[in-house]
Amino acid sequence: MLEVVDLTVAYGPVVALHGVSLTVQDASITAVLGANGAGKTTLVRTISGLVRPRAGSVRLDGRELIRLPPEEIARLGIAHVPQGQGVLAELTVDENLRLGGLWRRDRKAQRGALDETYELFPPLAGRRHLAAFSLSGGERQMLSVGRALVARPRLLLLDEPSLGLARRALVQIMGRIKALVTERGLTVLLIEQNAKSALSVADDAIVLHLGNVVAHGPAQKLADEEGLRHAYLGF
Amino acid sequence: MSRFFVLSLNGLTQGAIYAAMALALVMIWRATQVINFAQGAMAMFTTYLALFAIDHGVPYWLAFLVALSSGLILGAIVERVIVRPVESAPPLNVVILTLGLLLFLEALAPMLFGGQIRSFPPAFSIVGLHFGNSQVAFSPFDAFTLGSVLAVMVLLLVLFQKTDLGLRMRAAAFNPDVSRLLGIRVGRMLTLGWSLASLVGALAGVLIAPSLLLYPTFMDQVLVFGFTGAVLGGLDSAVGAVVGGLLMGFALSYVGGYLGSDLETVGALVILIAVLMVRPRGLFSRHRLRQA
Repeated sequence: MLEVVDLTVAYGPVVALHGVSLTVQDASITAVLGANGAGKTTLVRTISGLVRPRAGSVRLDGRELIRLPPEEIARLGIAHVPQGQGVLAELTVDENLRLGGLWRRDRKAQRGALDETYELFPPLAGRRHLAAFSLSGGERQMLSVGRALVARPRLLLLDEPSLGLARRALVQIMGRIKALVTERGLTVLLIEQNAKSALSVADDAIVLHLGNVVAHGPAQKLADEEGLRHAYLGF
Repeated sequence: MSRFFVLSLNGLTQGAIYAAMALALVMIWRATQVINFAQGAMAMFTTYLALFAIDHGVPYWLAFLVALSSGLILGAIVERVIVRPVESAPPLNVVILTLGLLLFLEALAPMLFGGQIRSFPPAFSIVGLHFGNSQVAFSPFDAFTLGSVLAVMVLLLVLFQKTDLGLRMRAAAFNPDVSRLLGIRVGRMLTLGWSLASLVGALAGVLIAPSLLLYPTFMDQVLVFGFTGAVLGGLDSAVGAVVGGLLMGFALSYVGGYLGSDLETVGALVILIAVLMVRPRGLFSRHRLRQA
């Protein structure tokens, strides 16, 4: 279980998150919704250790993550798929994928995870030994998500996975992630601009507005609230 | 034997050493985007340590290992103590610190080891080999120089391209933030990068000391030639560093042989200026523009 309590993050004088709290249950998908600048990306970057908060706490199964460096947080089984630019463009597709699970040191399992990923994303299999900079935007996104899955994470932080992806590929990725949630108890925090599609896959959701949580609850319930939809979600 | 052939052989051996120096500079440049101006002084220091061991009756090969292993350790210390604290500061800070380290080591060495010029033994004979009746200007020690530089380069190539550790090191150099998200301990990779670069520099030191003689500033010109080779090769390309270093060896050998040996340093400067004017990104760089 991931617990975020009273998290306050500021970039100099600009406060990006004002005492945000949320709980993500194991084996579930929680969507984080809101407009540009609401603080969604700041929230995941703080959870994965890239941003130091001014106050508050982030706990994974009771263990405090604040003050741990990003590499140690990753080694606890938290995989962060950053928005855009997550691939190492100079390395090959295969090297990128291998990097995902290197910290696990379980070579046999890694080999299997790699094959699984290539099966899931056939376009990547054909480009295995090409440098990642030769990939299209959608293929890079597949690579980014695939690399995170190779690590077999407990908690997956997805920042706008739909960016640059064709609808069909997105449906495929989300289908795979849903399966991992039910089969292996994966926990997912999903950031999306597109509230409608995010709410259709999520179990729970929170809505951020200018760094504050303005709504939270089961995804279906939020989707049904007309006022909320008009005010913050744009559908 | 023609003069040109003699000069070419000499250039090849010298070039191998400049290539090692250039490679050391490029490894650090790629890992931390810093030109380590103390690279030569560090190699001078490790060579002195080897000589210190020899003076105390340690056999040559053990002293050789002393130079290489103290190179590894010195590189790690420099990264941890000098580079790491200013990691997030502008790159110029680190560059100035490496210049400070250069002055420090060149002042420390005469205090510890004495300031007089010393000779340093070669691993093998430096007398040219005989083929039939004729003697060529290529000694067993030259062969050892070429062979050991080649061996280190092949080992580094295998490390970086074929092992998980090398993959981690490359990832950490290309994009530290994304690497951290993948659980790579970037700090350790940078320390290791400095260590390995310093090891390559230390090798260059013990290989060139027999022909240059050992004194506190004896590596300064090797650093300049290696740096020119690295710039010639494009600064961020390991292959470029090796090719650039070898080209420097040939070019300077011809300049020294045909025009006079006191013109070698001027020759290096001319090459550096020519590269920066005609092809500033070097021969092998993948980047369009040099950032710094």
